[in-house]
Amino acid sequence: MGESKSDVLQGTLDLMVLKTLESMGSLHGYGIACRIEQISDDTLSLNQGTIYPALLRLEQRGWIKSEWGTSEANRRAKFYSLSRIGRKQIEMETENWERIAATMARFLAPSN
Amino acid sequence: MKVRKSDLIRTLLSRCASLFRRQTLDADLDEELHTHIAFAIEENLKRGMSEQESRKAAMRAFGGVSQTKERYRTQQGLPWIETLAHDVRYALRQLRKSPGFAVTAILTLALGVGSVTAVFSVVKGVLLQPYAFRDPGQVIVWRETIREMQRAVPLMPDNYRHYLNLKTHANSIQDAAIIQNPVFSISTGVDHPHMTEGLAVSPNFFSVLGVNPLMGRTFAQEEAQSGRDKEIILTWGAWQRLFHGNPSILGMTLRVGDEAQTIVGVLPKSFRFPVVSMMPGQATYGSTERYEIFKPLVPSQEELTVNDGDFNYLVVARLKPGVSVQQAQGELDGIEKATAAADHLAIHLSVVVQPFSQEITGDVSKPLWLLFAAVTGVLLMACVNLANLQIARGVAREPETALRAALGAGRARLLQAVLIENFLLGFAGGLGGIAFALIGEKLLLQTAANLPRMNEVHLSAPMLFFALALSVLTSLGFGILPALRSLRVLPQGALQSSSTRLSSNKQAVRSRRLLVAVEVACSVTLLIVTALITRSFSHLLTQDRQFNSQHVVMARTDLSEPRYSSGENMPQNPGADPGSLARDSMIARTLDRLHSLPGVQSVAITNVIPLSGDMSVDGLVRPDHPVPAGQTPLANRRFISPGYFDAMEIPLLAGRDFNQQDRDNPRVLILSDKTAKTVFPGENPLGRTIRHWERIYTIVGIAADARINDLKRNAPVFYLPYWDFPPLNPVFLVRSSQTIQTLGPVMRQAIWSIDPNISIPTVISLDTQVDESVATDRFQAIILSSFGGAALLLAVLGIYGVLVYSVSLRTQEFGIRIALGSSRATLARLVLRDASYPVLSGIALGLLGAAAAARWVSSILYETSAIDPWAIGLSMALLLIAALLASLIPLRKATSVDPMIALRAE
Repeated sequence: MGESKSDVLQGTLDLMVLKTLESMGSLHGYGIACRIEQISDDTLSLNQGTIYPALLRLEQRGWIKSEWGTSEANRRAKFYSLSRIGRKQIEMETENWERIAATMARFLAPSN
Repeated sequence: MKVRKSDLIRTLLSRCASLFRRQTLDADLDEELHTHIAFAIEENLKRGMSEQESRKAAMRAFGGVSQTKERYRTQQGLPWIETLAHDVRYALRQLRKSPGFAVTAILTLALGVGSVTAVFSVVKGVLLQPYAFRDPGQVIVWRETIREMQRAVPLMPDNYRHYLNLKTHANSIQDAAIIQNPVFSISTGVDHPHMTEGLAVSPNFFSVLGVNPLMGRTFAQEEAQSGRDKEIILTWGAWQRLFHGNPSILGMTLRVGDEAQTIVGVLPKSFRFPVVSMMPGQATYGSTERYEIFKPLVPSQEELTVNDGDFNYLVVARLKPGVSVQQAQGELDGIEKATAAADHLAIHLSVVVQPFSQEITGDVSKPLWLLFAAVTGVLLMACVNLANLQIARGVAREPETALRAALGAGRARLLQAVLIENFLLGFAGGLGGIAFALIGEKLLLQTAANLPRMNEVHLSAPMLFFALALSVLTSLGFGILPALRSLRVLPQGALQSSSTRLSSNKQAVRSRRLLVAVEVACSVTLLIVTALITRSFSHLLTQDRQFNSQHVVMARTDLSEPRYSSGENMPQNPGADPGSLARDSMIARTLDRLHSLPGVQSVAITNVIPLSGDMSVDGLVRPDHPVPAGQTPLANRRFISPGYFDAMEIPLLAGRDFNQQDRDNPRVLILSDKTAKTVFPGENPLGRTIRHWERIYTIVGIAADARINDLKRNAPVFYLPYWDFPPLNPVFLVRSSQTIQTLGPVMRQAIWSIDPNISIPTVISLDTQVDESVATDRFQAIILSSFGGAALLLAVLGIYGVLVYSVSLRTQEFGIRIALGSSRATLARLVLRDASYPVLSGIALGLLGAAAAARWVSSILYETSAIDPWAIGLSMALLLIAALLASLIPLRKATSVDPMIALRAE
């Protein structure tokens, strides 16, 4: 992969969004996208637009909720926040992700 | 990501919900994305980019806006439902644009499917629905035949001794019950007693049918003995009607005839036993809820010993599992013949086994299937018309279809649009069909009220659903072929000028002509069959019956009270017993009372209600001319009072009527013409004698052959004065100018003024009785006529449609012809020639169909030949006139073409 940006793994974007909302509280789509780019230190190739289908998916599952509000710059924007089910989901997903990461790490470790 | 089921459900719900607020959501998304870009631009500006750079960078970071929107939208709703909804809206718009087509198609489907469903509900209820017994297919009826009497009475009821013998020795039979259908007069003690019907049955009757009582028990073997038989079982209906469902019914009593009988059981609600008759093929008509009481059958001592007479019963048996009717027939017949030979009987007996359903509904099976075939023919024609319309529509829409194809609509999508349109038509037609089926069923129940088991006919929900499905499938099936045809159209061809389209139109005209020919063939077949049945029916009504049914009211009474029935009441041994004397006096006083009523022309009694079939059939022996055993001429015995022939208006051909002088010496009789000719061929019977019941009677008169038993048969009859044996169920006949509405109650009061304890089960006009006796024939004629009419109408529509269409295609051609000097008459000939191909070939096909159908229906025709020239001629004339009428408008159109307008049209 070298210096090129890596693609977002299927399913990881959802967890990133959840995690972001967990640490930042209520946030609009642009904010979420910026935050993800910032955390990933610009190593991810993320079209900001792809965040919206992900947000819709999470909202349809009931993990996050949205409402219209006003930003600091006095602009009308849609704010997303975690729901109760979403909070529980984060724990499960984190655990799940760590298990996969650990497994992958074992595969990638030198075999001696 | 772990996605649980609950998440999926929430997702689905959310997607469904979004279907209904599409516009708000779209606006929301637009705004949200707009805000996103705005935030990004703001930030870029802050970083010091120029306005243009900021926007560019923002858009780059975002990726494709419209792709995002598209993805978002597909994920938000249910895309396939939206395409579907779009196509449905499109189809509805298309149909609204051609309301004539839509209404015609829906009505055609609704009428076709509705009438098929209604008729099928009758076929199902009467013929197909199994009886409420265990394994009803294993239940059979057997009857006996006597070779010597085969001509007069092809099938007889059963003899008790033969029944016992066959039941004991047959291996193919699990068990056999024997029954009889007496009429009971019952009384709960509050009102005038009334009559009900029931069956006297052997104790094993219920176990043979496999029916268990709802409460109480069935009969025990020892209850089939005289003196022990004071117990009855009620049907569920009788329990409700007479005792209002009283739960402590068991052990209560009901007066049946002159005795109190204990109720020992109640049958389940589902149990129904159809009306049976001891003589075959007679009066199995009526509700299967008519029998209300079951009592043990007790054979008389005589019946237990007599071997060659007393054929009084009907046997209902259950076959052993795996045994066929034919096997049982073979075995039973063998046993019967062997026993008869061993007993050295003078008569030749055999046994005829029939499935129970054949016994009950065998007579109506063919008429009902005929109706079903006819109505299916009508449905077929309706479908052909629909296909015809669809072809025309497909051609008319070719440019549009071509345009859609050229713009990139896939064939699947085009086909889906057509399918949806047909589905909508079929669905609407199906809903209409359900409404028509419900109405049709009501009408059928009214016109055919006395078919056997008619009370079991019921349009159930599954059948209505089936109607809907049938309509949708028909619409899809007959709509899809024309649709596929029009899909073959190449866009470039269809979009070019109409002259190149002509060839495909000509092809459409050809296939439509073929369809019209099929339609004409169907309607010719149906019309001829209808004409045959109608002619047969009108023949039945208009033939000379030799009696006048108008203005006669009848009241049947029951004299089974002890004071009337005490003493010996077997007609074989009449005497001056107290019962006979009481009946004689009651009848004489009632006749006097009825005679004094205002407006009465004549009054009489008989012992059997006219038109209830053969009854009391007896042999007539000439003392001077003995015939071999079994060849004695048979005739129906009727006890009558003087004046009977006046009241019935039966002409007396020779001799005299009975009169009061015969009261002291009632050994006189009157023969019907046919009987006289059979018993005294070529001789004058007046003054001759006949031996009957071991007594000698002198013939005093000859009456015309009145069809008093059955309009379809000239039954032999002999009449005796009622004094010889006053009947137990006298029927009073009154000829008067008054209607039954006024006369009926007056007659009842007159009879009750003589004795208030007499039950009067029936008061009916002779006209009504005649009507009811031909109810099946009438039902058949009425229904078939309406189907015939529908078929004719459909054929006219079909011919009209195809002609109008081909004329409109040839407008230009006609214009040129006129411009070149062709006369209008020549044009008319052209159009008529166009019409004549499908009509003539259709007629030829239809005649073939009719020939096949006529052979099948010939057995239900009454004195009408299956190749009746009138019926055939009339049907063809009707069809040709209809075809001519159908071509009048297209003809006018063609001959009034203005060459200038026609040529300028393109």
